Amino acid sequence: MTVPDLGIRPDAVKRPDDPLGPKLFRAAIFVAILVPAIWSATGLQIDWPSLNPFRWVTDWEITLQWSWPYLILVAIVGLTVYWLSKRLTWSAAAAAAVLVMPWLNIWNEDFFFFDIWNIVHRLAPPDLSAEAVQRALPKVMESIFIAWVGTMIGAFFSFPLAFLAAKNMTPPWVNTGIRQVLNAIRAVPELLVAMLLIPITGLGAWTGTMALGLHSIGTLGKLSSEVVEGIDGGPVEAVGAVGGGQVARIRFAVIPQVLPTIVAYWLYRFEINIRASAVLGVVGAGGIGAELVAQLKFRDFARAGTVLFLTVGAVLIVDTISARLRRRIISGEPEPSPLTNFLGRTWWQRGLALLGIGIVAGIVVFLLRQLQVDLSIL
Amino acid sequence: MIEFQNADVTYPGGFKALSNVSLTIEQGELVVIVGLSGAGKSTLLRAINGFVPITAGSVRVNGTEVRGAHEATLRELRSGIGMIFQTFNLVHRTTVLNNVLMGRLAKVPRWRSMLGLWPAADKEIAIQSLERVEIVEKTYIRASNLSGGQQQRVGIARALAQQPQVLLADEPVASLDPVTSHTVMRDLRRINRDLGITTIINLHFLDLARSYGKRLIGLRDGELVYDGDIADVDDETFRGIYGRALTPDDLKEGAEL
Repeated sequence: MTVPDLGIRPDAVKRPDDPLGPKLFRAAIFVAILVPAIWSATGLQIDWPSLNPFRWVTDWEITLQWSWPYLILVAIVGLTVYWLSKRLTWSAAAAAAVLVMPWLNIWNEDFFFFDIWNIVHRLAPPDLSAEAVQRALPKVMESIFIAWVGTMIGAFFSFPLAFLAAKNMTPPWVNTGIRQVLNAIRAVPELLVAMLLIPITGLGAWTGTMALGLHSIGTLGKLSSEVVEGIDGGPVEAVGAVGGGQVARIRFAVIPQVLPTIVAYWLYRFEINIRASAVLGVVGAGGIGAELVAQLKFRDFARAGTVLFLTVGAVLIVDTISARLRRRIISGEPEPSPLTNFLGRTWWQRGLALLGIGIVAGIVVFLLRQLQVDLSIL
Repeated sequence: MIEFQNADVTYPGGFKALSNVSLTIEQGELVVIVGLSGAGKSTLLRAINGFVPITAGSVRVNGTEVRGAHEATLRELRSGIGMIFQTFNLVHRTTVLNNVLMGRLAKVPRWRSMLGLWPAADKEIAIQSLERVEIVEKTYIRASNLSGGQQQRVGIARALAQQPQVLLADEPVASLDPVTSHTVMRDLRRINRDLGITTIINLHFLDLARSYGKRLIGLRDGELVYDGDIADVDDETFRGIYGRALTPDDLKEGAEL
């Protein structure tokens, strides 16, 4: 039997250039982690209102004629029906049905959802006056910072613990002990940790940060150790075969396999921590929660609406960015740019996107007018 | 030079995978080991780099006794023995270059390798290894984006980057299609011939062994049943290795692949 000639000539192929992209991406990750960390660590002590550009605004008047939570409800129903049926007629009919409900007198006090509706109705429209935003926004920022630094503390300590807690890395007497410690940390809710820490660190942002960090060590340690347990043993054997010891096995065979998933878990934990940090303020551990409770106590529903509006907005933005980053890290491949995703690929999607951009531009102009910026230079 | 002297391997469960194996492999030889699944081929191979500890007798590699060797001695030994796996054993989530650089692990200072700051000379060796297996154009691509045959060639490049005296290939073509199998086998033979690296290959198929091997070792139930020139293999030796006579079907090209 003869060897088939596959037509490959040695040295016929030119060496490829070292691509710049991955290096830049790694540098970007480094900057993205370090800079906000330092910024957050210092930012937690900065007098935020003094840095707040919204304090220049003296008066905003946004009066909306229609009850817009109700219109949002109509839109949600319409879009949901469209998503389920993919038929415009059905979704238009559903939206119309919800729209005529007030005239049919369905939304009266006997209605099951009346109380919920009542509160939502009172929260909206939120008070978007300069003073209210100025008050709530720094607190929302503080919540995000608490979540970020807390996640970093959790990530830093959980990473080595994850390897110690993994059954395929350490002897049973080590990993069982570490795992039980992680379980114990995880079992205590953040709120309780914060309340326990208040006598030590006092009321304020650092208490919330420590509480989230401690809780994150437990959850991230557990999740990461399960990622480590799920690795492919082949590369570990390969590192052994080139003469590597246990440390080299972890560095060259285990970490490259698990790091993308673990970093994705960190980001996921950050998303959870933002929501958790919004609650921490209730016990006085910093963040937006205290503000929300205070406004609700004074029955100032419009101001509570401001707090909710800003919190939900911030969570949506951070979640979107973080989810995108996670997908990118897991797949290791660049995704289509957000602009392409946003503008869409068919003419009606683009038309819709442009309409949206137009509306946003209109709002910006409206705000600029409200801020009394001289538009004659345009 | 690799010497087995009355080597036994008994697994903790009591299964005897190798019994009383004695053989000598000279530097620069190309040896093919054949046998049924479970005959002890992988055990024999893994006894050479100490992955499987032998329970009796002795195994010497270039004069170093493998049996009962300390961890540091074993690591030193393994750094000079390249190994190629059936399932390639690459780290999928990193680049081909990083996978090959792993082969330089034992040769660079520990702090440099741990931080990923590989010296330029070692990078050069890694890229040259990739050139030797004709896959240099994939240097900066993630290993998960390669086909099976390409992954196996990266595996070979990783072993070559060790600049080893011995190359152990454990069923290197069992997961590959016939054409790719020939490419990989040809690469292994070329490496053996050009670089004078002792190459020991486990194979399922007598057909491939005939095309590429010189010396054949037949194992059956952990015992050495044939050790000699591959050209001298006849029906009798075949029956000895596989437990039945050679039929015309077995010799049909591609039938065993």
